Amino acid sequence: MSEPLLKMNREDERLLIARVRAGDRMAVRELVDRHKERLFAFIWRMVRNHHDAEEICQDAFLKAFASLDSFSADYRFSTWLFTIGYRVCLNRLRRRHPVSGEVDLSALAAGGAPEAGAVESQEAGEVRQLVWSAVDSLSAPQRAAILLFYRYELSCQEIARVLELPVATVKSHLHRGRNSLRETMEALGEQKLSELRNLSRHAG
Amino acid sequence: MRCEQARQLFDAYLDGELSPALATELGAHRLRCAECRRALALLEVAGHIVGADADPVRPPEGFTDRLLACMEPSRATWSHRLRRLVYAGSALAAAAVVGLAFLGVFDTHRPGQVAGKKVERSVASASVAPAPVANPPVADSAIDEFDEEFDAPDSPLQTWIERTQANLEAKRQGGESLQEVFDLTILQWLDVLEQAKQATADAPTAPPALDPAPTARPLPPTPSEDD
Repeated sequence: MSEPLLKMNREDERLLIARVRAGDRMAVRELVDRHKERLFAFIWRMVRNHHDAEEICQDAFLKAFASLDSFSADYRFSTWLFTIGYRVCLNRLRRRHPVSGEVDLSALAAGGAPEAGAVESQEAGEVRQLVWSAVDSLSAPQRAAILLFYRYELSCQEIARVLELPVATVKSHLHRGRNSLRETMEALGEQKLSELRNLSRHAG
Repeated sequence: MRCEQARQLFDAYLDGELSPALATELGAHRLRCAECRRALALLEVAGHIVGADADPVRPPEGFTDRLLACMEPSRATWSHRLRRLVYAGSALAAAAVVGLAFLGVFDTHRPGQVAGKKVERSVASASVAPAPVANPPVADSAIDEFDEEFDAPDSPLQTWIERTQANLEAKRQGGESLQEVFDLTILQWLDVLEQAKQATADAPTAPPALDPAPTARPLPPTPSEDD
């Protein structure tokens, strides 16, 4: 993901956080603006509900600022923010009834989109939908691990910090998540092939 | 390299943790094994799509402004807290008076008496505070003033005590539950407070010099103070 706003070195981030701690309102705004899009998108991918995502994202920022004194400059602020956001997500997902249908149906088709201006074939579009529907069907820690690894380019160590799990467990979630994606793509791919075969038989 | 061995290396390869020697081995196997080639291609395509697709959602308009507003402790919040504190205190006081009324402590038909026993407040205060020499007349007159106000038959406090006793009488006759009596008494106490507030508002205003004019100074942003 190319996020120009995120191209901030650790020293600049440290200075910005120091300004926030000193009560600089503009620094708070700058820090929120730098991180809100990535955090919101991650949370939305986890809960798949726009309203919930906004609440969780706001809650995560409030918790982060309230406990800013406990933030260690040894870590990236984004990693710390994702840790808080993921924890709030998990609490929300646990409270949610498993068959309550609290998922944005309008957004189901919007799994992802090619880069702006890119022209996409029907085949590529189908694969894209297939992958995102497979991501949605993963368990919460598997989905989080896959998203943080591929989408937010976190290392396994950083993911372990976000999910508050051992690195070996994170690798296991990544492995299972990847295999689920592959199996879903293979199964649906074969189903699509058989549908095409049936269609050609009927046409013949 | 066999397929089982190759597949065990997939994750390390995708994590970028495979040594150059093993990466070469895996590459060689991939060239000649169509099944492993397909499996790895599926994993790579899935990873590429998850990593490169644009986000279909963005934070809603005004997200940052709303967040900053939540973080700023406002005067309204403090006044709201104070009001809640006053009402909570009033409710406790009301509960205490209900308890006393329930025990028959108050006797509204004999002003100045509590449980049929005359209370000499000025004497009592003198005995509790043995050195009121500095300004005893003022203290006594204030207490007398309170007594008069308290004992006045149409004072809000007297009216409320009478109502409370009536409520308890209704309970004794079995018409009301204790919870209903308590709720009703609290509501009537809030009425007393409202009347007192109204009386204060109707009273002549304080001199301008004593009027605590609110300053419109915005509070500094202190993120750690949000609640």
